[in-house]
Amino acid sequence: MADARKLQLTRRAFGSGAGALASSAALGIGRARAQPATCVVGTWGGDYQNLLDANIVKPLLEPKGVNVQWDVAAQGPRKNKLMAERRLPRGTLDIACLSDVDMYDISLSGALDTLDESKVPNLKNAVAALRHAYAVPHIYSGMVLVYNPAHAQPNAYADLWDEKYRGKVGLVDLLFTQILIVATVAAGGTPSDFEPGKKKLMELKKLGVRVLPSNEAMAQALQSGEVWITPMWRARCVQWQNAGIPVANVAPAEGAIPILFEFGVPKNAPDKEGAYAFLNASLEPAAQIGFAQKMGYAPTVANAQLPPEQAQKLTFSAAEQAKLVKTDYDYVAKEYQNLKQWWDREFLA
Amino acid sequence: MSIAAPGASAHSIIPAAGRTAQARSVLLAVPATLLVAAILGLPLVLLFRYSLNQYDRYDLMREALTLDNYVAIFRDAFFRNVLLRTILVAAISTAVALALALPVAYFIARAPARFKSALIILVVFPLLVGNLVRAAGWMAVMGNRGFVNQLLLGLGLIDEPLEILYTPTAVVIGIIAVVLPFMTLTLQSVLEQIDPSLEEAAGNLGARPFTAFRRVVLPLAMPGVIAGTVLVFILCMNAYATPVLLGGPRFHMMAPQVYEQITGQSNWPFGGALAFILMGTTLALTIASTQLMQKSYARRAL
Repeated sequence: MADARKLQLTRRAFGSGAGALASSAALGIGRARAQPATCVVGTWGGDYQNLLDANIVKPLLEPKGVNVQWDVAAQGPRKNKLMAERRLPRGTLDIACLSDVDMYDISLSGALDTLDESKVPNLKNAVAALRHAYAVPHIYSGMVLVYNPAHAQPNAYADLWDEKYRGKVGLVDLLFTQILIVATVAAGGTPSDFEPGKKKLMELKKLGVRVLPSNEAMAQALQSGEVWITPMWRARCVQWQNAGIPVANVAPAEGAIPILFEFGVPKNAPDKEGAYAFLNASLEPAAQIGFAQKMGYAPTVANAQLPPEQAQKLTFSAAEQAKLVKTDYDYVAKEYQNLKQWWDREFLA
Repeated sequence: MSIAAPGASAHSIIPAAGRTAQARSVLLAVPATLLVAAILGLPLVLLFRYSLNQYDRYDLMREALTLDNYVAIFRDAFFRNVLLRTILVAAISTAVALALALPVAYFIARAPARFKSALIILVVFPLLVGNLVRAAGWMAVMGNRGFVNQLLLGLGLIDEPLEILYTPTAVVIGIIAVVLPFMTLTLQSVLEQIDPSLEEAAGNLGARPFTAFRRVVLPLAMPGVIAGTVLVFILCMNAYATPVLLGGPRFHMMAPQVYEQITGQSNWPFGGALAFILMGTTLALTIASTQLMQKSYARRAL
């Protein structure tokens, strides 16, 4: 009997506890009342998240009482989340980390705030060419030619089509948008129409180009000598050099294609104060230098001074910057599905 | 539990009590059944509803009741090929897994009791490691500088590394490795129930061991063969991590395409329709093959 009573009591307690939990979850109590606001940052995991934590959150935000939580996923699911939540009065993200092409696409959906620059004083130091009204530029690099100096000495994107590199040119599947720009400018076209690039890529296919699924697979192929030359971010080349892979890089004669990683604030972000504190902290010179030294991406603010040797290795000279081939975000956003379809069905077929 | 009162007929009392107890047990099962049905069914209902919507670039979808997405998939040669390739890979992987698992399962079922647990643990062991990690392991084995190529190069059997990784062969090998424990355990549990004396009787009547296995053990093990085949075929049809990691960018199967449509293209209605075509095809093929196997063995039994 005693056991039965005990069991009944436990069941009741469980029932009432579960009921209370369910109703508090339904009412949204908990996060709003019990604790100070938490800035939720939607980001890639791994090194990028660790460096955000080590260079921005721990040294710059925690002392100010800004609490940060991570929402880690690949950029596809996070883009979908931003779009799915954009009509809700209250979203779940305060900061969205995306590449420039994706951030522009999301900005077209109307999910992002137009930034209040008065709340990001460090924005005045950001390189003007990297600034957008809907996002803060965090780090950048450019697509250069990464090659094994024992086998190749390329100078231009057009060298990828050189017969002497037949079967030794590699491309990373995930970078197909930028590779289409590479082919387009190599064919003498502009980044606003990829048709010349498509024809040029079909020629490269006949030359036995190798398409690998990821940057990691490309690193292995460069290490093994399976690939001699590939268009890749300069930052990634620096990481590979640091890992002992025998590669060098050169900015192509046609001009490098820049890649920018940005932070945006959703219109329905629950903690905008925290979000703006995060944006401003991300542009602090110390945080920018930390990222450059660990990840190889160039700072986006003029007042972050790297040691000369590092600056030469990671950044782009004035002459190289002047030649950067800017992505036509609007063209890519509108054509994305067609481009992906062409890549999968024609080029990779 | 129920004892008939003196004078009352068992016919009139026991069934009434039985009915009450039965009704009570049914009622008790209702909440759990509803919960399970909701967990299993609601996402499917939701996804099916999405699949009837129209795509919208930034709203993800517009409400509609149209079969356009299904029609578009069947009209598109690319997706027809992806579906056929998925069926082919699943069928080959299931057949090879069955052929490999059958002797192993038989060996475990007939192993002395003191070794049996250890053998079963060995079979279960790969399941303790996720699919993704196992696929990464295969990448190290199959790569150009992987174990297989290094071995063959070292033995002087080849001059250039073989292309194994990022080929359909790599995917089939990877999938078989994933499903083999499921097939082995299913078969082993059924073979375990078959009395060894039946094989001894067949032997006494002059049957060789292989004939006894084929004519006596295998027909009795058919429920296990069917269950294992169905389970493994479903797993193969829905393989995701293995084709993505070992197939490379040129090799397409259905589950990665569903993911690509939903997260890469943000086309939820199309992704939903693809998912239902995958599910429908798997279900239809599973039912058809099960009936075929049952009929085939029923005929032989006669």
